[in-house]
Amino acid sequence: MSEQRRLGVYICHCGGNISDYVDVEMVKDAFKDDPEVVVAETTMFACADGTQHEMIRDIKEKHLDGLVVASCSPKLHQITFRGVAKRADLNPYQYTQVNVREQASWAHTDDHVGATEKAIGLVRAAVAKTKLSPELGGWVGGLGAMFPHGTSGREQIDLLVAEIATRPSITVLTDAELVSKSGSFGNYVTEVRIHGQEEVVTTDVGTIVVATGFDSYEPEAGEFGYGMEGVLTLPEFMAIVDSSDGPLTYQGKPVRTIAYVYCVGNRQPAGGNEYCSKFCCSATVHASIKVAARDAAVHQYHLHRDIRTYGKYELMYTESRERGSVYLRFPDDTPPSVARTADGHVAVTVVDALTGNEELTIPADLVVLVTGMVPRENSDLTSLLKLPVGGDGFYNEIHPKLRPVETVVAGVMIAGACQGPKTLSESVASGLAAVTQSAGILMKGFAELDPLVATVDTAACTGCTTCVETCPYDAISMITCEGAAVAAISAAVCKGCGGCVPICAQDAIDLLGYTDAQMRASIESLTKEPVS
Amino acid sequence: MDYDVLVIGSGIGGMESSIKLGDMGYKVLLVEKEASVGGRMILLSKVFPTLDCASCISGPKMSSTINHPNITTKTYSEVMGIERASDGAFRATVKEKSTFVDWAACTGCSDCQTACTVAVPDEFNSDLVARRAAYIAFPQAVPKKAVITRAGTSPCIDNCPAGIKAHGYVSLIRSGKFEEAFQLVLDATPLVGTLGRACYAPCESECTRGDLEATIPIRRLKRFAADRHYAEMDGPGIERPATNGKSVAIVGSGPAGLTAAWQLARLGYQVRIHEAEEQPGGFLRHALPAYRLPQAVVEQDIANVTALGVEIVTSSSVHDLEALRAEGYDAVLLATGTPRATALGVPGEEADGVLAGLDFLRQVRVSDAPDLAGKRVVVVGGGNVAMDTARTARRLGALEVRVAYRRGREEMPAHAAEVDDAEREGVSFEFLVAPVSVVSDPTGAVTGLRCQRMQLGQADSSGRRRPEPVAGSEFVIPCEAVFSAIGMAPDPTPFASLAGAESGSRIAVDPTTLQTEVPYLFAAGDVTSGATDITRAIGAGRRAAYMIDRWVQGRELGHFPALDDLLGVVDKAEVLARQKSHTRREPITADTVLSPAPEDFGELEPPMTEAEALAGAGGCLDCGICSECQECVSACPADAIRFDKREVTSEITVGAVVVSTGYKLFAADLKPEYGYGTYANVITGMQMDRLLAPTRPFNTVLRPGDGKVPERIAYVSCTGSRDKTSGNPLCSKVCCMYSVKQNQLIMGALPLADVTMHYMDIRAAGKRYNEFYEQAKDMGAVYIKGRVAKITEKDNGDLILRYEDIENGGAIVEAEYDLVVLAVGIQPNHEVEKLFTGERLGLDEYFYVAEPDDDLQPGRTDIPGVFVAGTAAGVKDIVDSILHAGAAVAQVAAHLEHVNHDRATVAAEVLA
Repeated sequence: MSEQRRLGVYICHCGGNISDYVDVEMVKDAFKDDPEVVVAETTMFACADGTQHEMIRDIKEKHLDGLVVASCSPKLHQITFRGVAKRADLNPYQYTQVNVREQASWAHTDDHVGATEKAIGLVRAAVAKTKLSPELGGWVGGLGAMFPHGTSGREQIDLLVAEIATRPSITVLTDAELVSKSGSFGNYVTEVRIHGQEEVVTTDVGTIVVATGFDSYEPEAGEFGYGMEGVLTLPEFMAIVDSSDGPLTYQGKPVRTIAYVYCVGNRQPAGGNEYCSKFCCSATVHASIKVAARDAAVHQYHLHRDIRTYGKYELMYTESRERGSVYLRFPDDTPPSVARTADGHVAVTVVDALTGNEELTIPADLVVLVTGMVPRENSDLTSLLKLPVGGDGFYNEIHPKLRPVETVVAGVMIAGACQGPKTLSESVASGLAAVTQSAGILMKGFAELDPLVATVDTAACTGCTTCVETCPYDAISMITCEGAAVAAISAAVCKGCGGCVPICAQDAIDLLGYTDAQMRASIESLTKEPVS
Repeated sequence: MDYDVLVIGSGIGGMESSIKLGDMGYKVLLVEKEASVGGRMILLSKVFPTLDCASCISGPKMSSTINHPNITTKTYSEVMGIERASDGAFRATVKEKSTFVDWAACTGCSDCQTACTVAVPDEFNSDLVARRAAYIAFPQAVPKKAVITRAGTSPCIDNCPAGIKAHGYVSLIRSGKFEEAFQLVLDATPLVGTLGRACYAPCESECTRGDLEATIPIRRLKRFAADRHYAEMDGPGIERPATNGKSVAIVGSGPAGLTAAWQLARLGYQVRIHEAEEQPGGFLRHALPAYRLPQAVVEQDIANVTALGVEIVTSSSVHDLEALRAEGYDAVLLATGTPRATALGVPGEEADGVLAGLDFLRQVRVSDAPDLAGKRVVVVGGGNVAMDTARTARRLGALEVRVAYRRGREEMPAHAAEVDDAEREGVSFEFLVAPVSVVSDPTGAVTGLRCQRMQLGQADSSGRRRPEPVAGSEFVIPCEAVFSAIGMAPDPTPFASLAGAESGSRIAVDPTTLQTEVPYLFAAGDVTSGATDITRAIGAGRRAAYMIDRWVQGRELGHFPALDDLLGVVDKAEVLARQKSHTRREPITADTVLSPAPEDFGELEPPMTEAEALAGAGGCLDCGICSECQECVSACPADAIRFDKREVTSEITVGAVVVSTGYKLFAADLKPEYGYGTYANVITGMQMDRLLAPTRPFNTVLRPGDGKVPERIAYVSCTGSRDKTSGNPLCSKVCCMYSVKQNQLIMGALPLADVTMHYMDIRAAGKRYNEFYEQAKDMGAVYIKGRVAKITEKDNGDLILRYEDIENGGAIVEAEYDLVVLAVGIQPNHEVEKLFTGERLGLDEYFYVAEPDDDLQPGRTDIPGVFVAGTAAGVKDIVDSILHAGAAVAQVAAHLEHVNHDRATVAAEVLA
């Protein structure tokens, strides 16, 4: 959150439990110069109903977006003040409790000055933590003006984060990862481990939306000169463009010529990344417009295979050419090469298919490798949620048209670039589509299950647990039945794949709809008369 | 609130939105303008990059949509306007267009489609083939129900006072269904042969083809059908219906009486007609000359009536209608016409040789003709009776026949053709003259007609300029006979004694019900209106029969649907605009030979040959689209056809709106250099998708020009996209991929074909898209960079593509192909602009629905509570449309929850 925060800090007397040893007024005064602490108050009993109402009033009237209460142990009143936040339509996780009673007043009854200093320190730390707590936004949060409208990625993310903060129904856990998932769709139980905390956060959720995004392709050393000075990837180049004004400079020197090499890490021959990342043409074309707008004299050469500025993005392609960008097309099988020149420049040599396959060498101050998206390394989550991965390494939907945000795991949706390269607006659309899909499940309040699932004959089950390990969907667990441990299959989780049936040495598992008896009858019928 | 959400358009975005909203528990109204849900996707062959068959993806969604318990689907319906109310809800006007089929009864068997005689371009096959006016949109339509395409009433039908379905029988004749054509006319009147000859054909004067080369010969086509019928059988060819035990007496056996008798007899009535003359037929037999309407034809037509058991009592003048009724009839119809000729009203009129034209014509028809050999005849009057009189006089050997008329030629009430024909038969005209007196010799025989010259003054109540005498202009036309044909009137004798029934010489009736002041007595035809024509008499006869039946059955009379409830007439300009091209068709005209000195009463107009009939009917432009030929009605096993069904408009209130109105394809003929619409073998990508689809029209990929299976196929990408010259600088995104898909499918369907794509950039941007493109290359598709400049056609239909081969040195290359596919792009659907009233739905500069924050708030428009899903907001492929719909749904749900929450809060505060 880069914008100014509006925090409320309340320091509790605890009826003397705190104020007898800690100078609460001094603690309060410690924040009088902090512009982001809008309210700093002391109170006799923070937990009293009257005080809670005052806090709610402050939050609403002064538009607070964070709350810090310096009082007792979180074990006592964290829930209380989260409730206060919630009732004031403030995200309850924007609340931080500071324990100045057990950790300052009670611990230092002999040292009023020290106790006060410690309390100030603890509250400052909490304020600092609260100010920083959400780190949301992913790649977009690091971007400046984005295509097609030139809106800043950072600002877009700030806007969304601010919106999230106003919604008490959203709980944000940052620096956190999903560590387990059990139950079935509509009734999942998840465990999230927050970095640095011992306890995991256990939550009941109906559906899970995976929006883990992408990574940018990292060229191999030497790939199109990568590693040489003056050879940058697209994100590196955008960072330079976004962090400066006026004519572009690189390492203190003006940039007069830029060569963009497209499709780096994408549209590779079979075995490589054969896919197209679809955003990079538009992003690069847009960046070139920004550069040209700041310095009309700059020379920009785009070495591409096809310019895929689809839809309305085509207008940017036109504008970029009008602003002087030169587009050269290289044959698929003859990629350009990048080399250092004697005068310290980099030069790109390219065969230009559009001018009779002329080989051109373009000396440049910057060579931008237009790197695409690659699937994000996320094997733990992938295996935890049993997410299906496609040939391109991105998560696979069940069907791109019938069920575009659902995965084979019921109630687990995929949204955004984790499913495949997308632009900002496409990612948002798929995120909202995942919302819709979740709501379709959850708002109905019930679900129809497929009855063709596996069942266990508990009398025959010996409790060997082989099936439990076999099940790819974690549908099987051990229960105690009449004193014996036996396998039980969740009808909500089981996908009816039948994998457990042959594994069971006791033939204790049958797949409804495909029972042994049914299959036997089918086979007998099939073999009754020979078929050619 | 009638529904939580209104979703407009049931393409993939609309269906996805509806299903997901329904899954969340919201009540959804989905409005689709076509008869089936599914939009365009269902029409595709397969879809990239998975090559799933489009039907297999779209079909289940279509089914889920209409079977979802929370979704109400109105297909063949349109949202006419949406207005936001002060409480944030929306009031929408929804028009359910008439399908003319009772969908509750329709089983989707498509028998109506098979029977239908009208072919129109099949928009669901991208106009590659024709569909019928009665149709089921496509084989996988959901709901699978038939629709009859009706643009309105065809002008020919609309202008027929008899309500005869001219378009219908023309269409039947075109289909070779000659007997059905006869039966269609017979359904209105027994006088099929008569109308085929003597009708003055108001249908033809309104025929839209008349604005091109010449009218369709509608009247003669009817004669053709009648001649065919009577050549094969006597009588109507229908079963005599079971009697209903009721009886009706009809006075008069002219066209009104005969038609009413026919209709009543078909309903089971016992009908007796009283005819004052010795022969039935009224004016058909006694006023119309045989050269126009042979006696045998009238007799054949009358035989239709008697075949149903109608009794015609001739030489039976009825003077007392009360007494007639007292014979036990349930109702009486008076249809005595206008037998009384108007006298000249000049001195000397009683002279020998002065005769009313009407009496003269009657005498001729009953073989009592006066001898006119060598005589000079003056016919006074300018109407059709005057023409008939003059021409008949010529046939009786009159030396000289002059028509004296008090106005000019332009003002003559006779049909221009009759006047022309009379002239060609040697009749001469004295215009602007009026009789003053009849001059006779001492024996009392006529020797001349004293006339005075007239000039035209101010217009009178009929709109014609009133003739005024020119002082001192009298002169005498020497002659031996004077026939007056200046008007005729009913004979009021039968109803003169009935209170309230008389109105001058006519009988007063309610114009809609034709009921008189005396409840059992109805009247039809000229006796109610004065002299008109056959078609009006027939129309009145039909109306009277309908009303008499209602009255006898004790039902409310109401109005007569066959004439009073027609759909609005079709605008001819729209009909002409709808034609993609006109082939000039040589008009089919009758080679009538007219003699300047006609000698006999043989029929003048020759019959049509079958070839002429087919060619003549073949020119019909199907103005109303449906011809109302009734073949579907006969064919439908479920009795589901409802021509009287009309559109229904309703107002509904909804909490939110999703606009999913999709896109339009670029009209390829806007790039004339590619020759689409001119070169038969240049097709669009959508057409190729249809050629490849499981429901493909030809069961193989062939080129439309000559049906040849192509061996060299070229694709021209970016047709209408990335092209400022065609007004669209945007990339359409889908065309590269659908072309690559088709490349693969063609190589599968035609393993020997070479497929080449001329492209600018291959925009395979999407999950597994680039891999899909590489796969096409591996399969052998060739991709050539560069925009195609021009396409030209060779004599054999092959095509030459001219382009700069920029990747190989930039030479100008001309490559020859058998078939060229234009990869047409996506255009905004401008229909969204009309959806909202009161406020404007914001559009972007390219006329797509604007999403003010498309980065973070996809699906939101600038009207709170209005959302957009799919390509209505800009180009998208199917996957993107589905995700976008999912996003829009999340936005809708958030909006509704907020609104509900706010309402609950307000309610709580009010209660507190």
